[in-house]
Amino acid sequence: MSVEHQVADLSLAAFGRKEIQLAEHEMPGLMAVRAEYAPSQPLRGARITGSLHMTIQTAVLIETLTAIGAEVRWASCNIFSTQDHAAAAIVVGPDGTPDDPTGVPVFAWKGETLEEYWHCTEQALTWPGEDGPNMILDDGGDATLFVHKGAEYEKAGGVPTPAEDDSEEWRVILDRLRNSLADHPGKWTKVTAAIKGVTEETTTGVHRLYEMARAGSLLFPAINVNDSVTKSKFDNKYGCRHSLIDGINRGTDVLIGGKVALVCGYGDVGKGCSESLRGQGARVIVTEVDPICALQAAMDGYQVATLEDVIGTADIFVTATGNRNVITADQMSRMKHQAIVGNIGHFDNEIDMAGLARIPGVRRTNVKPQVDEWTFAGTNGEPDHSIIVLSEGRLLNLGNATGHPSFVMSNSFTNQVMAQVELFTKPEEYPVDVYTLPKHLDEKVARLHLDALGVHLTELTKEQADYIGVPVEGPYKSENYRY
Amino acid sequence: MPLLATLMGRFAQERPFDGLSVAACLHITAETAMLVRLLQAGGAAVSLAASNPLSTQDDIAAALACSYGIAVFARAGVDRRGYYRHIELALTRPQPGPDLIIDDGGDLTGTLHTQVPELLPHVRGGCESTTTGVIRLRRMAAEGALAFPVIAANDTAVKRMVDNTCGTGQSVIDGILRATNTLLAGKTVVVAGFGASGRGVATCASGFGAHVIVTEVDPVRALDASLRGFAVLPMSQAAPLGEIFVTATGSADVIGAGHLAAMRDGAILANAGHFDVEIDVRALADLAVAVRHDVRPHVDAYELPDGRTLLLLAEGRVVNLVAAEGHPPEVMDLAFGLEALALAWLATNTGKLEPGVHEVPADIDAEAARLVLASTGTSIDSLTPAQLAYRESWRTGS
Repeated sequence: MSVEHQVADLSLAAFGRKEIQLAEHEMPGLMAVRAEYAPSQPLRGARITGSLHMTIQTAVLIETLTAIGAEVRWASCNIFSTQDHAAAAIVVGPDGTPDDPTGVPVFAWKGETLEEYWHCTEQALTWPGEDGPNMILDDGGDATLFVHKGAEYEKAGGVPTPAEDDSEEWRVILDRLRNSLADHPGKWTKVTAAIKGVTEETTTGVHRLYEMARAGSLLFPAINVNDSVTKSKFDNKYGCRHSLIDGINRGTDVLIGGKVALVCGYGDVGKGCSESLRGQGARVIVTEVDPICALQAAMDGYQVATLEDVIGTADIFVTATGNRNVITADQMSRMKHQAIVGNIGHFDNEIDMAGLARIPGVRRTNVKPQVDEWTFAGTNGEPDHSIIVLSEGRLLNLGNATGHPSFVMSNSFTNQVMAQVELFTKPEEYPVDVYTLPKHLDEKVARLHLDALGVHLTELTKEQADYIGVPVEGPYKSENYRY
Repeated sequence: MPLLATLMGRFAQERPFDGLSVAACLHITAETAMLVRLLQAGGAAVSLAASNPLSTQDDIAAALACSYGIAVFARAGVDRRGYYRHIELALTRPQPGPDLIIDDGGDLTGTLHTQVPELLPHVRGGCESTTTGVIRLRRMAAEGALAFPVIAANDTAVKRMVDNTCGTGQSVIDGILRATNTLLAGKTVVVAGFGASGRGVATCASGFGAHVIVTEVDPVRALDASLRGFAVLPMSQAAPLGEIFVTATGSADVIGAGHLAAMRDGAILANAGHFDVEIDVRALADLAVAVRHDVRPHVDAYELPDGRTLLLLAEGRVVNLVAAEGHPPEVMDLAFGLEALALAWLATNTGKLEPGVHEVPADIDAEAARLVLASTGTSIDSLTPAQLAYRESWRTGS
């Protein structure tokens, strides 16, 4: 029986497979996990729905999950982030052909509409002949949100009518759930009851999970993979340090040296972005709301200003806050001619794109995929001026470039696999709540990546280990150590 | 100082200065002592004066005079008259005058031409160590006033890189830290001038976490600073922003009365340029209602009428030499090694250069770099004959 799929073009599979093979070499953690767990097949019986950028690196994650026993269905968690050749290669599988695919069901292509996006998410959550997944692997929390809202509205007896000021995306979600409830009443209540847990990849999704846990509405346990040290301190910082510049370069090819770059937010992502922009010779200015992060930025030698201070002088604006409406439409209208605006936070609400489109007289000109020039009509006889918006305000490192490099994602995804194995094999240890991975697994993820870099780790002697009160084999740090 | 040590052996054997006298005007430090002893080992009779009234390390001066028989005329804290008197003594001590000179700032060359011009016909040539001096000498040469060839030993690719950029960069920060013990991280540091020295100061300050603003008059250097990620502003706009100011221009009155009046309370003023004219210290004194000298060693607090205080380091003189220890020995090793090699070249190539300012011959620069690399155990590649042929032919392209 053929593999269910909705992807752009299965003929891209051969190219995708070549890139997957290159990526496997750069993802030593995942390959080590495959070798370790292949004999015991700890995920046998797991039906995992993944909602995570369908890239080459994710392909290596998917094939790691299947290699250790899982059945998998996948959708992307962003309308632009799918690499079509990766999606094709996963559907075709290592042993299949485009005419006879034997891989994993994928529902994702680059450039989905919002309707298509949520259709794909629903497809990934719908197991043919069965109730649904028993595990979710989420990035941003969309799959978790969808099943929770489905169950909530089933309990409430119907889907609410969207409010006047609800976003377009929320209307799409409500429409889709309304149809689902009509066609398959009670589906999401059953699905959520069967789910053993979710592992969440990113800050934004983790926010949602903690909110749900606080409100008592979380229906199954969750592991916050994002806050593993080997995820947030690596993926967020080193990954963005690499892929921000890559995205700006591919999108605009503008010389970064000598430019004034504004980075909104000095968390791990903002730190990585600031460092690489500075490394390119940009003069970096940071905005922050948190006094600790603001002080960190200042001590690292960055000017810390408010957005209003520099709105007319910066050349490049990057949002990395995890918050909404960080750059308003009015502010964009007051930027320098040809200023570049991009977001590297998970959602597209950091930059007010809807507000930008509503500015009277504004014109959008598509320069190339994921690069738009927005032109503001001159007032009082001034000439028109324009700004360049990357990836429609969605995360530009995935939209304009290829996201984090494989090595960084190997750290994140090895955490994901560990977390899936934990939740699936030890449900009794994880009552409904949000957890982080135990530190010994975090350290294990790091350990699996050392050899590839030629790192020679020093071992504690028993005497030294006793002196600082840790086991020789770790964990080495207390839970609140900040790295 | 491995380069000077290597040359010491070579000069002792080759004796390039046999029977010659050298008058030198240099900052009297341990590194200078090594240079002087090297010249002596090469056969020279050396007389030495200080090139700055404050920079003399008296113990070094004493050791040179007592243990090595050098004619030293220098004392820390000497006044202006005494300073020039010392230079004259260093010039007139050898009879009938020096064969070669080494200068640092051009004061010895200036004194030689204006005060004891009768010695000029005897002088074969000299070396100038610092940018400020070279600028002066080029002006002299332009007026036709320079009577002998001078090699601008400050101005080689290798020296600029190691001495001005690395050495000045590091030691200026060292001087500011020792004088003030201020944290640089998060501070706004204004660096005036983005030449070889200013670039070093800006880079070092940035490495400490400072937010660096550069001021420049040269558009090429300003663009360079900008492309390296530094903010570039006119001093009038930088003045109210800076918390630490470092002048490294070789020019005068870079920080003037108007700038001083606009500065923040507690702003620190330091000069990395050779002379004490880059910060207008007189204007600062005129603005101030009171001056508290030495609130810390080398820190004078100037109190302004509105209650603000500006802190002047080292009286506006070279902060790295006054408040710290000058360049680290590795830097001076290269600088003085170059100077010694250039002086030896002058001694043996008398008459080959016209009066005027000349560059260090390129092969001497390369030789100095080669010797330093060898001393650190660094090996480099050599061009193969095929590569040499490719480089020298225009016939072969891709």
